[in-house]
Amino acid sequence: MVQFANVIVYSYQYMLDPKVAGIISKEMQKESVVVFDEAHNIDNVCIEALSVSVRRQTLEGATRNLNKMTQEINRFKATDEGRLRQEYNRLVEGLAQRGNLPISDTWLSNPALPDDILKEAVPGNIRRAEHFVSVLRRLIQYLNGRLDTENVEKEGPVSFQHNIYKEAGIDQKMLKFCYDRLHSLMLTLEITDTDEFLHIQTICDFATLVGTYSQGFSIIIEPYDERMPSIPDPVLQLSCHDASLAIKPVFQRFQSVVITSGTLSPIDLYPKLLNFHPVVSRSFTMSLTRDCICPMVLTRGSDQLPVSTKFDMRSDLGVVRNYGRLLLEMVSVVPDGIVCFFVSYSYMDQIINSWNETGILKEIMLHKLVFIETQDVVETTLALDNYRRACDCGRGAVFFSVARGKVAEGIDFDRHYGRLVIMFGIPFQYTLSKILLSRLDYLKETFQIKEGDFLTFDALRQAAQCVGRVIRSKADYGMMIFADKRYSRHDKRSKLPGWILSHLRDAHLNLSTDMALHIAKEFLRKMAQPYDKTGSGGRKTLLTEEDLKEMGETRM
Amino acid sequence: MCRRASGEVKPERDIFIKHFKNIPMADMEIVFPEKKNPTLTPLDWMKFLISAVVGLVTVAGSIDMPKADFCHSIICDWLLCYDIFQCGKDSASIRSSYADERSWESLQEDESGLLRPIDNLSLQHAQYRRRIRNLSSPHTFARIQKGLIRYLYLVLDLSKAAGETDYRPTRMAVMAKYVELFIREFFDQNPLSQISLVTVKDGVAHNLTDLGGSPESHIKSLMSNLGCSGDASLQNALDLVHGYLNQIPSYGHREVLILYSALSTCDPGDIMETIQYCKESKIRCSVIGLSAEMFICKHLCQETGGSYSVALDESHFKELLLEHAPPPPAIAEYAVASLIRMGFPQRAAEGVISICSCHKEAKVGGGYTCPRCKARICEVPTECRICGLTLVSSPHLARSYHHLFPITPFDEISPTLNYQPDMSRGKCFGCQLSLSKSGNNSNKPSLCVSCPKCKQVFCLECDIYIHESLHNCPGCESLRHSR
Repeated sequence: MVQFANVIVYSYQYMLDPKVAGIISKEMQKESVVVFDEAHNIDNVCIEALSVSVRRQTLEGATRNLNKMTQEINRFKATDEGRLRQEYNRLVEGLAQRGNLPISDTWLSNPALPDDILKEAVPGNIRRAEHFVSVLRRLIQYLNGRLDTENVEKEGPVSFQHNIYKEAGIDQKMLKFCYDRLHSLMLTLEITDTDEFLHIQTICDFATLVGTYSQGFSIIIEPYDERMPSIPDPVLQLSCHDASLAIKPVFQRFQSVVITSGTLSPIDLYPKLLNFHPVVSRSFTMSLTRDCICPMVLTRGSDQLPVSTKFDMRSDLGVVRNYGRLLLEMVSVVPDGIVCFFVSYSYMDQIINSWNETGILKEIMLHKLVFIETQDVVETTLALDNYRRACDCGRGAVFFSVARGKVAEGIDFDRHYGRLVIMFGIPFQYTLSKILLSRLDYLKETFQIKEGDFLTFDALRQAAQCVGRVIRSKADYGMMIFADKRYSRHDKRSKLPGWILSHLRDAHLNLSTDMALHIAKEFLRKMAQPYDKTGSGGRKTLLTEEDLKEMGETRM
Repeated sequence: MCRRASGEVKPERDIFIKHFKNIPMADMEIVFPEKKNPTLTPLDWMKFLISAVVGLVTVAGSIDMPKADFCHSIICDWLLCYDIFQCGKDSASIRSSYADERSWESLQEDESGLLRPIDNLSLQHAQYRRRIRNLSSPHTFARIQKGLIRYLYLVLDLSKAAGETDYRPTRMAVMAKYVELFIREFFDQNPLSQISLVTVKDGVAHNLTDLGGSPESHIKSLMSNLGCSGDASLQNALDLVHGYLNQIPSYGHREVLILYSALSTCDPGDIMETIQYCKESKIRCSVIGLSAEMFICKHLCQETGGSYSVALDESHFKELLLEHAPPPPAIAEYAVASLIRMGFPQRAAEGVISICSCHKEAKVGGGYTCPRCKARICEVPTECRICGLTLVSSPHLARSYHHLFPITPFDEISPTLNYQPDMSRGKCFGCQLSLSKSGNNSNKPSLCVSCPKCKQVFCLECDIYIHESLHNCPGCESLRHSR
């Protein structure tokens, strides 16, 4: 199908994640133009594509898979030894093993990408199926042993390779070929149910990645989740720190790659993160017929005390109350839907509890219904559905959601579904996370990006992403409130995308609740007036055919 | 706040006096906000005379006094008196009246920094022309049928939100004030139509007055029932109105005008169904919002063919409300011609005592008598209580007539054309005043308009008068008569 289509639209994991890309994207031509839309999170996707986490369940599952494979091998030995023999011969010849595919197209399908991997032959000690299975058993055993640790351990790939050689006798080259060898074995054994064999595949991915890369990765073993230290839940994570690794083959393979999003800001940071040289890099302003977005930075509550979700202030009762008053005032003047974003689930729970105790939540419910996003997808979908219904029938509703949650990323709150979005605080990442810390270290060493800069960039793009949910077309209108005193600082504010900044007037930078309320009232009245959709005078936003011709001529 | 005369009143010294005639009009309004031209009240005159006597005594005390100084001192005394008198008044009341009239809004600063009153006339005229153009644009070519017999339910949202004070003094008071105006204007323009008032409070809709043609009874009943509480419910209001309007005969145009100040609606069921019922019953629902755009209101208006608007401020609200006074174009499939039986009752002689059919009591004096059943009726237009005949008077019919044949909007003539002698001969055809010097500032050439049919030229005042009140073009009429 792929080669007959003119335009192919799919999730960009299909292009970036090597495991999937091998199946789907291998038939693309070099001349194809690749467009990554909504690519503000592309670095995270790249990193996720090359990160593997191994838990106890994974290891147990993998052991089961191996048992099954051993059975299969024995069965084949008894019935059809010729096949195994044939495979062995193929590997000996050092051919690329997957069917009859032309060799130039095989690169995309390997999780580790350097070209040299395919030119080498599979090492001798894993060529035989039973040998390979026993190598995998040793690997799993070793990983099991590592997971038994009591402390958090952090290691680079090189020392991990060294350890594994010492303990289990598996060298780097064997690790490197795990993925290919497994694949070949599964083909030979005619195993089609890949879902069942997911666990062993994860282990092989892990092995191949560890064996291939000596830089840009780290292996972190955590015996328990930091938020719940009493429950043992050991996890071994191979985390990639270098987003450029996964996207590099795409840049090499295709002639033109376009990366675009509404919230790519600051735009000069992306080439650094992804390690490429942009041919053209442009930031476009929005052409709007009227000022239909109204961003505001709210720094103080109605009692003039500063509000913030800074660590030392977030549980302050005054701040919680001021946030509550802000929402309460806003629900009484904004029609239909309001969306609120909090910095984390735990903070949302805490603040809603405290609003409930002080009766603020009850007062909010007098004006609008309240819906809350939870970590459960089904529950959230139900809440969203009812939220939409409440907006439709005029009852009005508030949706409490979390930045970086599912809702913040993919759900639109356009038109009356979101007339106002309030961003409570700055959504910084959980800075004590080991993975984040090691990534920050890596970024600092390799790309000279300061920790603070990266954290702010990441938080602000999330914030922009959240508030960008409310406006999806020119006919739409919406207000955005950034409720944190830190937004008024230049280093934070300047990282917001241009289309928000251009509407952020100086007078709206340091507001208190009552001032914001007044502005909101005025804005909503103004936006409710009928207007000329095509734009009038100098603010023409729709091009006619003549305009296009004229533009064409001036270009000539 | 007040401008005082500089220097004290001492006859021996030079005295600086600011004469009133040097103070620009704009400043004057700031000094005396409630007075356009300060004149002397009897009390002032008394004070002035007393001070004059005191002044004369001082003059007598000093021996050689120049005559000019003498005059000055009198004026100064008077000025001070006036100042004291003004300051003595309760300053709070001045402040409140100052804020209420918003006199600063009628001023604007020109390029040299002087305050000038805004040229209200041309602004008003521009506004009016826009309105005329909007009204006439869709049906300049096709003649549109209009519903002259309207049955309008006016729904007032008296929920908690109506008590908010962003309109002064409250939204509710402003609503009531302009609803009164609207009702009068409505009956003036649609003498054959009827109104009923409905209020929504505590989530329940009440029918305040039944359908009727008497503005006074509606207004009286509204004023005695003001008071806001609870939530608003759009569905309850629509259900109530739908129940009543369904019984209206088919020639009547069913309309609902909702003045909505709340931002949510608290409904017992599915409002979408109710909207569909209204659509099926061909009820035209319009909403005027007082605070912000609501999706459900917009949806309602779109579905039922009404208009939705949101008021910016008090004057805008008035404008939006009065836009609903002229009859709307009829819905296409609804506009079938049908004959209606009407009676033209005679006015009874004065001093006759008869039993009134509408009040159910004996009444003295002039009422009307139904031509079919001879019952006495107090007011027309109405429906006879006894035999159900529609009763109107012939002027009512005549007054409704102009909506069907509106005068075409006049063309604006650019000021340069104005000076062509053959074109206008410098006079307005309506009021016969010279066009060149009409308008208060002579440096700007005044605008004028001409009728596209008879090519006569009119001034702006006449333009508004002809379109809004007269509904006949004097030029075309005289042409027809002379022929």
